Amino acid sequence: MKYSTCGSLVASAAVAIVIGSSVASAQGMDIPVLEATPVLEGLDSPWDMTVRADGTMFFTEKCKGLSMRSSDGTVTKIYGMKGTEGYSEAGEDLFCEGQAGMMGVAADRNFDQNRRLYVASTSDKYHGEGCKTNFERCDGNIVMRLTLSDDMSSVADRTDIVTDIQYKPLASDQPFGGPGAHNGGRVRIGPGGYLWVAGGDRHYGICPQSPELLCGKVLRVDTDGNAHPDNNPPDGFDSRIYTYGHRNVQGIDFRPSDGKAFTAEHGPWHSDEITALVNGGNAGWDPQENVAGRGACPDQYCGYEPEQMDELDPAVRASYMPMSDTRFEDLMPPTWNNNGWSQGTSSAAFLKGENWGIYEGRLATGVLGIGFGGTPIGQRIDMISITPDGLGINGITRMPLGFSKRFRGLVMAPDNSLYVATDEGEIYRVTATARQ
Amino acid sequence: MPKFIGAISLAVALVISSGATAGDAEAGDKLYHESCHACHGPAGKGASSYPKVSGNTVEYTREKLIAYRSGQRFGPNSPLMIMMARPLSDEDIENLAAYLKDAKYE
Repeated sequence: MKYSTCGSLVASAAVAIVIGSSVASAQGMDIPVLEATPVLEGLDSPWDMTVRADGTMFFTEKCKGLSMRSSDGTVTKIYGMKGTEGYSEAGEDLFCEGQAGMMGVAADRNFDQNRRLYVASTSDKYHGEGCKTNFERCDGNIVMRLTLSDDMSSVADRTDIVTDIQYKPLASDQPFGGPGAHNGGRVRIGPGGYLWVAGGDRHYGICPQSPELLCGKVLRVDTDGNAHPDNNPPDGFDSRIYTYGHRNVQGIDFRPSDGKAFTAEHGPWHSDEITALVNGGNAGWDPQENVAGRGACPDQYCGYEPEQMDELDPAVRASYMPMSDTRFEDLMPPTWNNNGWSQGTSSAAFLKGENWGIYEGRLATGVLGIGFGGTPIGQRIDMISITPDGLGINGITRMPLGFSKRFRGLVMAPDNSLYVATDEGEIYRVTATARQ
Repeated sequence: MPKFIGAISLAVALVISSGATAGDAEAGDKLYHESCHACHGPAGKGASSYPKVSGNTVEYTREKLIAYRSGQRFGPNSPLMIMMARPLSDEDIENLAAYLKDAKYE
């Protein structure tokens, strides 16, 4: 089924005629016609995609693995998780649990020559002596560099380039408290061909502000996993860290006009955030107990407090356990905080190309939808116009798709269409056609 | 004859004691889409870390929802389910259970 905005645009035109001269200045505005068409259906929690110029799409399914959809629609299963069937090969260390599994995928900027993909996944290969409790180091989120075979049907080489991002091994006394919580997991190639890896706090209070642990961080590394030479984290921090103090970053992209990185991350019963990243900056999330006026917290994690299991005014929680704590001098203030609500912002992608008309350059942001304690569920894709300094917004328009889903993954394709993965199991291609 | 009356009485007593009547699957479908769809996905197929809830017996779904409604915890997402189940009436639960028993995502 295709979904088109033609009807609503016709309605808008009719309204404009009625209003007459008061909207004369709106004449000539280039509002694109959008159309959403499913390219794949019946998938198992598709998480992320990367699309090539010829229309070939690589995509991940959280508990299954990496596959390729050729431009003729044929699907080839390339690299599976442990226990999966039908894939050319399976990584016996790769597993899924709760929110964790195979997540982000990005193609090397020289993919046509080297056939390299970068894939984030959970793995038990690097647990070592850790992972016996939730209160110790547990390395379980990795980034793999996969070199595909000549026909791209299998993996010719796998090199794990980041092996020490922390993972939550056991359940804890929190909402969404199962193992595998808060992995971040989006990977993108940024300016200069460097790889950006978005992380989460894995329900471990000390993670976001820790100088050594990579949980709750955004990394900027080269394609071998080494730190970018210009990363500027505080003294004593791991040199791969670009920014720290994050909760759960599932969206990251780079503004076309200046290359500036922006993240989208979930809030804790309040304050989903878009943030303009500053090299070495602090996003201000610090869910440790016994700091900032807080006492002990369940399982040493204050992230949902106070009264974490009960309905409470989001503003009260935001004051007690802020997403962006202003006590930090190196705080990166949020560009936008979803009016203080948490509805589950996930992936984000800047809309590129003149075909997007007046929406060109806006940040498309997927919202999964979480209705807790009176908050509207809010499943949608927002198109956010961000100010040039990145510190605020000019306005937001909901993408008029005509349907609501759990929008998990968004990425632009080379033909300037937007690909969208939903938790329900579809991947859509959203095209925009400018009217001028 | 006395045996027949006894059997009817027993059946009536069981229905009254459990508070259960046959659910209305259509009403359950409507309620599911208002309250459950956003997390558990279409037709209860499950989505992301939220489990599949369709294909279970009416008794199973009823038991779980009543337990959540009473505040019992079993599983990491219990707080969410307790909050969602709290306003459900017996009739709502029966309707949801009837709908989810045969719900299928095509």
